[in-house]
Amino acid sequence: MNTTNRALNRTLLLIIGLLFLGLGTVGIAIMSWPTATDIWTSAGDDTRSWLDQAIAASAIAGGNLSWIAVGAVAAILVVVVLLILALTSIAGRRSKTVFRSSGAQNPLGRVTVTESFVSDAVKNSLATRDEILSTQVTANDIRHRPVLHVAVTPRQNTDPRELVDHLDRLLTNLAALTGRETETYVSIHTGLRARLAHDQRRLS
Amino acid sequence: MSTPVLRRVVRRETHSPRTVATFVAVILLIVALVYIGLEIVLSLAAQPALLLGPAAAGGWLIGLPTAQPAGLVIAGSAVLALLGVIFVWLAVTPGRLSKHILEAGDRAVVVDNGVIASALGQHLSEETGLARENITVGVGHRSVDVTVRPGAGIPLDKSMVQSAAELELETYRLTRSVRTRVRIDRPDAKEDEL
Repeated sequence: MNTTNRALNRTLLLIIGLLFLGLGTVGIAIMSWPTATDIWTSAGDDTRSWLDQAIAASAIAGGNLSWIAVGAVAAILVVVVLLILALTSIAGRRSKTVFRSSGAQNPLGRVTVTESFVSDAVKNSLATRDEILSTQVTANDIRHRPVLHVAVTPRQNTDPRELVDHLDRLLTNLAALTGRETETYVSIHTGLRARLAHDQRRLS
Repeated sequence: MSTPVLRRVVRRETHSPRTVATFVAVILLIVALVYIGLEIVLSLAAQPALLLGPAAAGGWLIGLPTAQPAGLVIAGSAVLALLGVIFVWLAVTPGRLSKHILEAGDRAVVVDNGVIASALGQHLSEETGLARENITVGVGHRSVDVTVRPGAGIPLDKSMVQSAAELELETYRLTRSVRTRVRIDRPDAKEDEL
């Protein structure tokens, strides 16, 4: 899972969509509806005369430069910077965390389990199952809590319930071994690799 | 999937973040704003405009209703409006991905629809004795469509396929109930004659 700000994505999409829709609708209206054409032309003339006066009134040191033009450039610059900042948020980063779980203290000491151990344990256990093409185990930080993500790509025609039950037993055993149950999210994928791989299991 | 954290994970994994659409929309807006800003700066610096200076652009905008060719302006506006409709549509629709959630106690399990479809197809192939390539399964959010092509002269009971598909889907324990539709696709008489 990544940290993409989805609310921001949709808000930006809505605002820009409404802007484009508005501009496009106005464009069609003024070209095809005489009343809209009249309103557009008169409003345009009024705006132009107001803008000419405003530019003349805000001329810098009596020259050609105007505070309005400078302000417009500054405003555009600010909006562009904000949009670029939003883009970096849109891209999102993986919410990956370093998983480290410590069990209870016992006479022999304390067992600390790291992500790589969990990853290797799950991968090695699944490696014996021929219907599984690939396994990926990561730990994500979600609302300040570690969540294990086990992503599995099985061969085509593999029963997902059998696979889920097997993974469930595996993760339960792992939790018993490490002494701590971690919230786990399992995703089972299909894809090019599953399509290209032979759907029959090897017989050995 | 009892905790709010896992519910959040599942929600995010089963719905599109709309990243690509937002990226395209923002880039288009940035390009437009940068161009306008550049034209203003060139005008302030008394340099020749890239395409159209601010004053000329203002004049062109006011005279847009009489601009020629009118068809081109209308077409451009229609494209802009259509793009706007697409962006608004993408912003307000949920954007569900082709995935189903499986019941799995305290864990959250999300499965691609393709995995369910291929597993169900394989199961129906074993149940009916038909070759796997003669069974097509499409899995949607609310329905599962099964198309079986038994070939000429091979008897096949539609209700048997239907119940086999429903029973198999029950064993998957999907959190959202789905409607199963079965279609038996037999080659028509003309093909038989050929």
